Amino acid sequence: MTARRRIGWSLLGAAALVLPLVVYPVLGADILAWALFAAAFDLLLGHTGLLSFGHAAYFGCGAYVAALLATRLQAPFPLNALAGGVAAGILSLPLMGLSIRRKGIYFAMITLAFAQMVYYIANQWRGVTGGENGITGVPRGHAFGVSLVSSTVFYYATLVLVTLALLLCWRIVRSPFGRILVAIRENEARAQSLGYAVGRYKLIAAMLSGALAGLAGGIWVINHGFVGLDAVHWSTSGTVVIMTLLGGMGTRLGPVVGAALVIALRDAISAWTDAWGVVTGIIFIAVILAFRRGIVGTLEGALGRRAAPAPAVPAPERPLGTIR
Amino acid sequence: MIENLLLQVFNGLVNGAFYALLSLGLAVIFGMLRVINFMHGALYMLGAFGAYLLTAWWGLPFWWTLLAAPILVAAIGLVFERLLLRRLYDADLLYNLLLTFGLALAIQDAMRIRFGMQGVPYGAPAALQGAVEIGPLLFPAYRLFVLAVSVLACLGTWWLIDRTRAGLIIRAATERPMLTRALGVDVDRWIPAVFAFGVALAGLAGVLAAPMRNVSPVMGADLIITTFAIVVIGGMGSILGSVVTGFIVGVLEALGAVYYPSAANLVVFILMAAILLVRPAGLFGSADAG
Amino acid sequence: MEGVAEVKRSAGRPIERYITRRRFLRAAGAAAAGAALAPLSRPWRAGAQTAVHLTQGKVVIGVLNDQSGVYADLSGKNGVEAARMAVEDFQKKYGAGVLGGPIQVIAADHQNKPDLGSQKAQEFYDRDGVGMITDVDTSSVGIAVANVAAQKHRLCLNVGAATTALTNANCNRYTFHYAYDTYMLANGTGVEVTKRIGKNWYLVYPDYAFGQDMDHSFTSAIQRAGGKVLLADATPFPNDDFSTYLIKARTMRPLLNVIGTMHAGQDVVNFVKQYNQYGLRQQGINLAIGLLFLSDIHALGVEAYQGTLYTTAWEWTLDKQSREFADRFLARTKVRPTFVMAGNYSATWQYLEAIRRAGTDDPDKVVAALEGYKFSDFFIRNGTIRKQDHLVTHDAYLARVKAPSEVKEPWDYVTILSTIPARDAFMPLSQVTCKMS
Repeated sequence: MTARRRIGWSLLGAAALVLPLVVYPVLGADILAWALFAAAFDLLLGHTGLLSFGHAAYFGCGAYVAALLATRLQAPFPLNALAGGVAAGILSLPLMGLSIRRKGIYFAMITLAFAQMVYYIANQWRGVTGGENGITGVPRGHAFGVSLVSSTVFYYATLVLVTLALLLCWRIVRSPFGRILVAIRENEARAQSLGYAVGRYKLIAAMLSGALAGLAGGIWVINHGFVGLDAVHWSTSGTVVIMTLLGGMGTRLGPVVGAALVIALRDAISAWTDAWGVVTGIIFIAVILAFRRGIVGTLEGALGRRAAPAPAVPAPERPLGTIR
Repeated sequence: MIENLLLQVFNGLVNGAFYALLSLGLAVIFGMLRVINFMHGALYMLGAFGAYLLTAWWGLPFWWTLLAAPILVAAIGLVFERLLLRRLYDADLLYNLLLTFGLALAIQDAMRIRFGMQGVPYGAPAALQGAVEIGPLLFPAYRLFVLAVSVLACLGTWWLIDRTRAGLIIRAATERPMLTRALGVDVDRWIPAVFAFGVALAGLAGVLAAPMRNVSPVMGADLIITTFAIVVIGGMGSILGSVVTGFIVGVLEALGAVYYPSAANLVVFILMAAILLVRPAGLFGSADAG
Repeated sequence: MEGVAEVKRSAGRPIERYITRRRFLRAAGAAAAGAALAPLSRPWRAGAQTAVHLTQGKVVIGVLNDQSGVYADLSGKNGVEAARMAVEDFQKKYGAGVLGGPIQVIAADHQNKPDLGSQKAQEFYDRDGVGMITDVDTSSVGIAVANVAAQKHRLCLNVGAATTALTNANCNRYTFHYAYDTYMLANGTGVEVTKRIGKNWYLVYPDYAFGQDMDHSFTSAIQRAGGKVLLADATPFPNDDFSTYLIKARTMRPLLNVIGTMHAGQDVVNFVKQYNQYGLRQQGINLAIGLLFLSDIHALGVEAYQGTLYTTAWEWTLDKQSREFADRFLARTKVRPTFVMAGNYSATWQYLEAIRRAGTDDPDKVVAALEGYKFSDFFIRNGTIRKQDHLVTHDAYLARVKAPSEVKEPWDYVTILSTIPARDAFMPLSQVTCKMS
């Protein structure tokens, strides 16, 4: 680790520690939850080359399960969110197992189709999900004897959990397993010919991604005390795509930066203008034109290529139905 | 009962007419530019508002707006294409997806600020009010008109693509992108025209929708998802596929609404999942597309 | 905001500071104007007469509503303006210092997202010292915010949401439901239309909580009045085309008298346009709409809606008092108030009144001052704040949209057909399932 990088990481850590003093802690924890969601999503997009347009299903599944455990069984905080992650991982087995049989745009559209079905079920299964009214009054409860009712305390509890989960994400990416994923992303046929069971690797990556997205959903719901249909709506899937792209896909910090940017924008803009959509839209456009590989991706490129492997420069000719 | 079912099918065709126009535009844009035009729904909305404003400001009759509003929308689309989209053609298609998403957000919100959220009043022209009775069946005149215009527009597009030199290049570039470029055809020269054309079709759908749907800034906000699904089901790169699938989905949704209304919106996604798992190239796609 | 801020700044200051010649004249002029408007106005005596104890030295009211989404026109920015007007008028009537400190109104846009709504509500209560949140349109956001109110032990006077859950399954000690709910809408329209127009109904409702709630309430109201629901269909949401259901309606002739749509926002406009296209009115099938706002009629024009029957909590043409408010509102915002905007004004006023009566803004004491209170103002008639479920019951009105020929001035779209007295308009206590904790 070079000195420059060490300074960078220290700054980020310091920023995460003082965040609740600067912004409202609920907003801070919201950023953490979305950052984890985006990082989980990028495990699939940036590192495996699979664009899921249905990740709301896993985020929402985790949120509903955590909410149900917390309200009906009084399960304590890290446990309920973790159970949400496990449930989302289980859900991803059949859905992703079918989806990974297709590539590129086709994969994206199948995941969207499945997510729409999950949305439909969430709307119809009112006895469990509460339909449009959602599940309200999800308690924060206690963790290891400490009350989480204070939003600041909850923020720090979340910070610990999200940091661990992000470290796990980054560890996966740097492991031999992660290298194989990148190999699949770069040239699937070659990976196959080298004897790797490509399908199995993709499925494991997809399930890890789904489970971590579910964990993010679990944290998100305990933070807000509420989950409704919005969590499984396609626009939630779209939001996580936007975050990852703005921050820079395939980079370690990109999803985190993207999540912080989008959530902060959503919160701040309406306070000083009623042209919320105009301003957000223009910012998206400006960022994407100024930072062709996302904010972090482009900055890392500018600061020398010492950073995590950035996505390959796109080929001039892109065959139909491929994302990259 | 059978008449009733016929009426429902007719209705499905009318709704399918909107899907067909929208997905046709989306398909030629995707085929040629490799851009999933997320602002397609916003441009459809601008078509409807265009019709309203041309009439409100200059007293243009409905018939003329049918021509003028799509041209206006095409011009707006062209400006965005030349100023913005063009810059990202060499990047991953996700970036243009995000760019057009940002544009859609900004356009919709700008219209909300100017015209409010509830929308503006717009009625059918006098000549198309009322209904046509054929035997025991009753067809609202305006719906027949929508179906006719849409079919004509699709046929016109087919003629352009099938019978003109420009069309030949577009079809080649859409259905066999790599081969066409390899043969030395300057595909890029046609990009602005194709984008404008695809967008004009969305504008036309918007004008047609104005008398029967609410003309408001968010009228097209949710359309893109269903419309792109139709393009995928039809087989990406297949121009005929997008049109036929548009009508099929319209009819299936209408019939779904008769028997199981709350799930009608799900029809297109069930169909898409099934098609993609069984026949990934789509209903009309060629094998090398997948 | 400016107006309120101005009053706020002058509040509590000693008179001496005003005595430069020019300022004195201006202050005297303002006082004279104030006196003409409201005889009790004595802004310079701020602090002198107050016996109110404010826990944070000020009163902050938070207006939380949709300002950029599909419901932006039914309240939105103008709904915030209504709350500000209430504060200014309250200070004009009783004096700027009546509560012993400044009164502020702050606002936020929840964008119809329950998670954002609950976060904003927490921020309001924790960081901005908000004592009462009002408006909160959209049922799902309304329920989420009510829940935050219960956790934080601060007040929420919900005006904009329709769901009866706020005073039943999700009721709590700190939440009040002010203007209307699905029971009131269904009861008014279902019973009255069955009596006046015909007994046989076809209900079409969007397949989410509001729609299901409305379907349920309408069905029981229609049956109570001796009518019959021939068929009820849940439609996908959102939905562009309703012809399937309109064709179904045609096949139910000649039995069918009324088609009732429970849609809102975009969908209700789609529905009405297509209802007209199929010419169902000419075929003897009348249209009843579950929930209709003045802003809806204004957007589409009376012609499209003419003859439609619906129930409303208030209408600006109701009487002289209502018109007086609507005129001032028009001068300020360029629009006539919907009942949600007027309701925000009234709820804000009643909250301030309750603080004055309680002598403190301590939430529990304000709740006690509100519970069981009986009152009338330009918006609420024969109002009672029920202690058992915190529902504000009051007179409701059956309305019919005018034909274009009946319209006498801009925004004059509605004829009030009858008054549904407060005791009949809302859910009877025997049916209420609320258990206050």
